[in-house]
Amino acid sequence: MVVFLRDLLRYRAEFRIGLVLVAVVLLLSVLASFSPYPPDSVYVVPPDLPPSLTYWFGTTSRGQDVFWQLSFAIRNTLLFGGTVALVSRLVALAVGLVSGYKGGWIDRALMSVNDTFIVIPLLPVLVLFYFVMRDRISWLMLALIMACFGWAYDARLIRSVVMSLRQREFTQTSLFSGMSTRQVLTDEHLPYVVPILFSTTMNNMVWSIGLEVTLAVLGFTDINIPTIGGMIYWANQHTAMVAGIWWWIAFPTIAVIMAFIGLFLLAVSVNAHIDPRSRLWNVGEAS
Amino acid sequence: MSGYAGYVGRRLAQFLLVVFIGINIAYVITHASPIDPVEQSISAVTSFGNTAPDAIEQMRRSLRELYGLGGTPVQQYLAFWKRILSADFGPSLSAFPTPVGTLIGRALPWTAGLLTVSTLIAWVLGNLLGGLAGYYRQSRGLKLMGVIAMGLHPIPYYILAMLLLILFGFIWPVLPISGGATMNLPQTLTPEFVWSVLQHAILPALSLILIGVGSWFLGMRSLVANVLAEDYVVYAELAGVRSWRILTSYVMRNALVPQVTGLAMSLGGIFNGAVITEKVFGYPGLGSLLVDAVYAGDYGLVLGVTTISILGVSVGVLAIDLLYPLLDPRVKVS
Amino acid sequence: MHASVEQPHGEQDVQPLLVVRDLQAYYRTSHAGVRRAIRAVDGVSFAVRRGEIYGLAGESSSGKTTLIKSIAGAIKPPLEIVGGSMEFAFLPGYGGLHRAPPAQVERIRWRHLSYIMQGSMNVLNPVRRIRCSFTDFAYPHIGGSRQQFEQQVVAHLSRVRLDPSVLSAFPHELSGGMRQRAALALATICRPGFIIADEPTTALDVVVQKEVLGMIRGIQRETGSSVLFVTHDMGVHAHITDRLAIMYAGRLVEEAATAEIFRNPLHPYTQNLIASLPRIGEDAPRAGLGGAPPNLADPPSGCRFHPRCPLAREICSREVPVMREAGAGHRVACFAVNGDDGA
Ligand SMILES: Nc1ncnc2c1ncn2[C@@H]1O[C@H](COP(=O)(O)OP(=O)(O)O)[C@@H](O)[C@H]1O
Ligand code: SF4
Ligand SMILES: [Mg+2]
Repeated sequence: MVVFLRDLLRYRAEFRIGLVLVAVVLLLSVLASFSPYPPDSVYVVPPDLPPSLTYWFGTTSRGQDVFWQLSFAIRNTLLFGGTVALVSRLVALAVGLVSGYKGGWIDRALMSVNDTFIVIPLLPVLVLFYFVMRDRISWLMLALIMACFGWAYDARLIRSVVMSLRQREFTQTSLFSGMSTRQVLTDEHLPYVVPILFSTTMNNMVWSIGLEVTLAVLGFTDINIPTIGGMIYWANQHTAMVAGIWWWIAFPTIAVIMAFIGLFLLAVSVNAHIDPRSRLWNVGEAS
Repeated sequence: MSGYAGYVGRRLAQFLLVVFIGINIAYVITHASPIDPVEQSISAVTSFGNTAPDAIEQMRRSLRELYGLGGTPVQQYLAFWKRILSADFGPSLSAFPTPVGTLIGRALPWTAGLLTVSTLIAWVLGNLLGGLAGYYRQSRGLKLMGVIAMGLHPIPYYILAMLLLILFGFIWPVLPISGGATMNLPQTLTPEFVWSVLQHAILPALSLILIGVGSWFLGMRSLVANVLAEDYVVYAELAGVRSWRILTSYVMRNALVPQVTGLAMSLGGIFNGAVITEKVFGYPGLGSLLVDAVYAGDYGLVLGVTTISILGVSVGVLAIDLLYPLLDPRVKVS
Repeated sequence: MHASVEQPHGEQDVQPLLVVRDLQAYYRTSHAGVRRAIRAVDGVSFAVRRGEIYGLAGESSSGKTTLIKSIAGAIKPPLEIVGGSMEFAFLPGYGGLHRAPPAQVERIRWRHLSYIMQGSMNVLNPVRRIRCSFTDFAYPHIGGSRQQFEQQVVAHLSRVRLDPSVLSAFPHELSGGMRQRAALALATICRPGFIIADEPTTALDVVVQKEVLGMIRGIQRETGSSVLFVTHDMGVHAHITDRLAIMYAGRLVEEAATAEIFRNPLHPYTQNLIASLPRIGEDAPRAGLGGAPPNLADPPSGCRFHPRCPLAREICSREVPVMREAGAGHRVACFAVNGDDGA
């Protein structure tokens, strides 16, 4: 694993760029703990000030410091994405492993349900959910319902990895040489499944954060908890763009794009690194 | 031929399963929630102004009846399905007394048109460029395109649409940024109207295409890299088959097969994107209808758009599935 | 000074169709900064005469496919030709397809030289009908009207006992044996003077295997072409090849007429190979070689066989034995056979 990470760092520019982007975003979110203002108080600073040495990213029309507001927002947004990813990983892993190892009718049944969840357009469903919950919607509730829908694509991926592992030679030989099934799974298969799990986690976070931003911008979340989408929502409410308060929208947008590209690059580079064929491709390009 | 019939049967079964599960999710959300959707609607409607108490009571009664919230759970469930199957969602609350069905019928062509055209353009363009990028790996321009695709692909629809809006609405205002056509034009097939529709569609379509093209590009590029290592490609190259033929009939043709499956699988996500795009650009489709219905507290309309969306996307997926054997002759046996 | 390429002996004075001289082909990979060279073909010399079936035997991973790919010009990274030459009579002066201009290579492919890849069941494009493959591969070389071409293809298919209806089929609709025969027909439709075949019958059941071998023989006789035939299966070699070379760990160790190899193997590895063949009336499996095949990324010094060789002597781990004439048309690379001065 250590070697794997070291190789990634050394030979994949995408991985390095992704790491830097994600690190910057993480740093910003950690800073939230040192904010001089509580996240939800308004009119603590003079409103509508452009970026300056005192207020690095300017202030909002609601009298909030954009920098500190942003650090809360990015923290909550990442937390949200992390929660969805974590919960949906459990489902994806369970479905993918069972489907891949059991095969047969269990596989067929699970994949039918799986494909259904892939196809159903989620946004209308989430909007409907907001419609019935209204003010009682909380970010945890939203995270859980997104997790209920966000596992299917990755379950399919995990399943296909498991299926190809099952057919590999070493599975047979390991079983012959007396390793228990559990040993084979943890010693031989886990090293292949873990990188997939990692890259799907990153992709899943990109997906759920994107959806959360969308819902929040439309006002379909708990808008009192600062998130990236929530910031843009309030900026829109105060017609910040028209009023020329561009920094209110620009900085959260830049931050979330950095997070997205960072997470995506991490996922892509890990994927490329574990695919032996693309590895060969690199060799070909180098020579 | 029986192999094809079996395939069609399986796809139809999957289609029915998607619709069934989708509608049930909608049912569970609306009925198992601790909050009464009727009360929600009423409070949303009444929050706009003063409504007489007995008018509210009347509204409550008719809403309960309309959405089948009376009787035992089984009766409610059956009533729900009946409504869906007869596509009868009652009158819209926010555009009373226009039926929900009429509103949806008006919005549907806009969404279907925008979605079909932009998805097709994104898919064709992404696969074409991605295929070329996978085949001609050394090309500078195609490599640069790969970098752009990597940057564009993860950006969420809303952010990209907003960026386009800012760019063409404020910085360089050359395109209409809102609506489906110029307001006062009669909606008939006159050249002016068509031209206006096209102009208004450019920005929403562009945002959908820009996001979509990146993912097809990246997917196709890596698929092509894999197909290039297949024996039938290596062999055709050795036999001196013309390189254009190899690129089209051997490499692209085989790499496209999983991309068609990919299109079917991502249709739901693409639809999500269209909802946002429509809202950002005020496009008169299902997306705008849905969002405005939520703001207006129009329960029947929200439910109607949700179920129609599930149905519409499932039909789209089914259509792609049924065309799939044209591309991959192998499905007929497996 | 270098290993001598066998010169034709009396009975045949014409120039050989292919002369391979001291060929070295390595897989150069660089993963995680570690550069490795797998020396899969390392100093191989031989010649293929006109009208013969020349066999190449050797255990799995001994470099047969690599050698074949190099000759057929199927050289893609990480494979690299590091040294030596491959001279075709019909493409003189370049020393290999990889060095010839593309236009020249295009001219000879399929007309003069065709190649049956290992795993030839998978060489047919899965999403196109068999007819399209024939059109893509052979029509540019044969030309004429479409009907004439189709007639020619149908006639050729009947040589490998395939019905014309397979032309309208997709590959997955055919059995493995049929696909292999279709691939064989595809490789031979232009009646090339030289056919390179890599394990064309492996993975076929015995009956189909016999049939396919017979067809290769038939086509070869009919068109008078030369065949370079690779398989690890000594039984197949006994059945079809005229001369036979044995490969071990990237090098040739012995070469002679096929019958001579079976009757009078000289190299210790070949002797073991022949001795371990199952014979009728014997149930007990014969004792195989001790030890494992060498790692070609770091092969043994001197004679690559020395860690496993029962006759190994001091010089074997120091010096590389070269191929020497040890009888009429019989070459061996071994100090025990050639004497210690053989280096
Ligand atoms: N693409 C490749 N990259 C790296 N090593 C390879 C590659 N193909 C073959 N090899 C190595 O080259 C050696 C010879 O392989 P090959 O020529 O396929 O042997 P054979 O055909 O006799 O079984 C083996 O050690 C094999 O592992
Ligand atoms: S050269 Fe030496 S080690 Fe090699 S085969 Fe002959 S005797 Fe054995
Ligand atoms: Mg081989």
